[in-house]
Amino acid sequence: MSLTVENGSFFYLKESPILNNINFSADRGDIVAVLGKNGAGKTTLLKCITGLLKWKSGKSLLDDEDISKMPQRQRWSKIAYVPQAKNSLSTFTVEETVLLGRSSSLGIFSQPSKKDSDAVKNILNRLGISKISSKKCSRISGGELQMVLIAKALASEPDVLILDEPESNLDFRNQLIVLDTISKLASDGITCIFNTHYPAHALQRANKSLVFLSDGKTIFGETSKVVTEDVLENAFGVKAVIGNIETPSSVMKEVIPVSVSDMKPDGIKINEQQGFSLAVLAVICADNSSDVSINKLLHGCSHFLVGRMGMPYRDGGVYIINVIIDAPTDVIENLAFNLSILPGVSVKATYAKNIIERNDPNE
Amino acid sequence: MNRLSDKRALPGKLSAPQIAILIFLPIAAAAVALCAGRMAISVSDVIKVFGNHLGFEFEVSKFTDSAVWNNRLPRIILSILVGGGLSVAGCAFQGVFANPLATPDTLGAASGSSFGAALAILCGFGLPGIQSLALFFGISAVAVTHLCSKGKGLSGTVLAGIMIGSLFSSLISLVKFVADTDSQLPAITYWLMGSLSSASYRSLIIGAPIIIISVLLLFLLRWRMNLLPLSDDEAKSSGTNIRVLRAVTVICASAITASCVSMCGQVGWVGLLVPHMCRMRFGNNYLSLIPSSICVGSTFMILVDTLARSATAAEIPVSIITAIIGAPFFIYLLKRSDFSA
Repeated sequence: MSLTVENGSFFYLKESPILNNINFSADRGDIVAVLGKNGAGKTTLLKCITGLLKWKSGKSLLDDEDISKMPQRQRWSKIAYVPQAKNSLSTFTVEETVLLGRSSSLGIFSQPSKKDSDAVKNILNRLGISKISSKKCSRISGGELQMVLIAKALASEPDVLILDEPESNLDFRNQLIVLDTISKLASDGITCIFNTHYPAHALQRANKSLVFLSDGKTIFGETSKVVTEDVLENAFGVKAVIGNIETPSSVMKEVIPVSVSDMKPDGIKINEQQGFSLAVLAVICADNSSDVSINKLLHGCSHFLVGRMGMPYRDGGVYIINVIIDAPTDVIENLAFNLSILPGVSVKATYAKNIIERNDPNE
Repeated sequence: MNRLSDKRALPGKLSAPQIAILIFLPIAAAAVALCAGRMAISVSDVIKVFGNHLGFEFEVSKFTDSAVWNNRLPRIILSILVGGGLSVAGCAFQGVFANPLATPDTLGAASGSSFGAALAILCGFGLPGIQSLALFFGISAVAVTHLCSKGKGLSGTVLAGIMIGSLFSSLISLVKFVADTDSQLPAITYWLMGSLSSASYRSLIIGAPIIIISVLLLFLLRWRMNLLPLSDDEAKSSGTNIRVLRAVTVICASAITASCVSMCGQVGWVGLLVPHMCRMRFGNNYLSLIPSSICVGSTFMILVDTLARSATAAEIPVSIITAIIGAPFFIYLLKRSDFSA
């Protein structure tokens, strides 16, 4: 299911628009991170996308169907919204809370059936929180509560999941659990859109990003292209360094804020083509759950591929893929990045020392 | 643990033994109430009276027959309606305002009705007049509250309700002030303390349908009512029209309250006490809370009313008894359970 926003604008007072001509689209299984400073309009954007607030102009489309024209019940069985965590349901148990998420599929006077409570049990298992299912929501930790709210949203079996700062106010471990869950859900085919205060989380998880710039405009694109040092300085007023941290299994991006900056860069530089490189991508998949996503990514740059080898290594219980690619450097970087954010996928790129001097193979 | 959750397929649903006990409670209380009183009537006599009215021929004194059939039975029916109704109304208001302290009077329904009743007594109306005027002012009070607080959110509504409530309380004082001190003032005062002694089949005909329909509606909506404490966005994103749900809940609960006050005056405490007793025992899920409140509320009311009419020669107003029994019992429960509302 694809979600598209066309020319979306929103304001409470006409003189001070909050959202200006927003355009973006997300396909099945995409993770879109929304970045911007406090008060930039991130939460407003999420509410407008879902129709909780009405666009003043423009629209959100779900597979070419205008969301605002869909009947409530149908809309909320396709989209689920996880608001910023606060405990308004403290008196219910975890299971009861998640069951409430099924209400869009139930008649107004009807009670949930065995089928519904089985679905809830499945979701609790899937998110690994079935141990706390009979605990009261007032007696669980913040991290557990966030997982419960995600479970409640998933109870309606949505195609699009929209999360408002899902990892805020959580500790190190719980942030990781929530982010891993989002990655997992996306690889299961759910489109995830989330607000975050952490540019690093966008760089580690999201294949696409939307950034609110200081002048109220937004830019949207592949995360590796739009979340750059320039853009962060413009958006947050912070000089930051984006670096790579190499772990045995992959290379991860990290953002270190260096100093507060009052300078506004004149223009935003989107990472440009930097010439061609030859590289070998070594990929190890822990299971076959990301097959579809990997094939889709590789297919997207098939005309750059020089060679490709894939084999299951049954003794190790893994699947190994080797890709030799001759492409513009940013294409290779983007491919490696998009592979690395898939759950259970390790990837590293080895580049040839010399950039080959030659023409684009397409010409 | 798995076995336990399998046994209760749906979280928050009452188990079969719980349902059986809850249904048994009001029936048992009603049986006790039919026999007990200033004049004790034996079980066999009660059965004979019922038999007579079902077309059999039994030997019972006219006096016994009238006491059981025309006096005690309508009072029991009224107790069931008022106790069950006020308890459900209390549950509903607590949910809508996400506030455990909300009572059926939060929006001014009870104060409005009381004013209507006082006004009717002042004007010398009979029982039907009192009932109709009470009902009219009860519903009007809620309507005025709604108009005053339109678009001001839930806390605005509560504030407006408290204002309208105190406005009507002052109006009641005004009515009392101008009332004839020999006959009308005592009548108004006793009415406000609440009593089920005026119960008759005729008075039930006006008030009962409103209570029964509203309670039934809330009973059918019981699972959906779990969404009431959620924030607007959360509730909307579960595909429910939360405004309509809130409106229906408030209208039903107010109609119940006004109707109860119109039949038996202000019966305090029940709408706060019974829902919390049930919350402590059965949890906060409306799936179990509504049915248990109906059963426990009606049982409680039958017992209180039986006590009210049999403890002393003169009837004690029920409000006094609900508070005297209710408050200590409530505190006992509060101490015992892990309260979190």
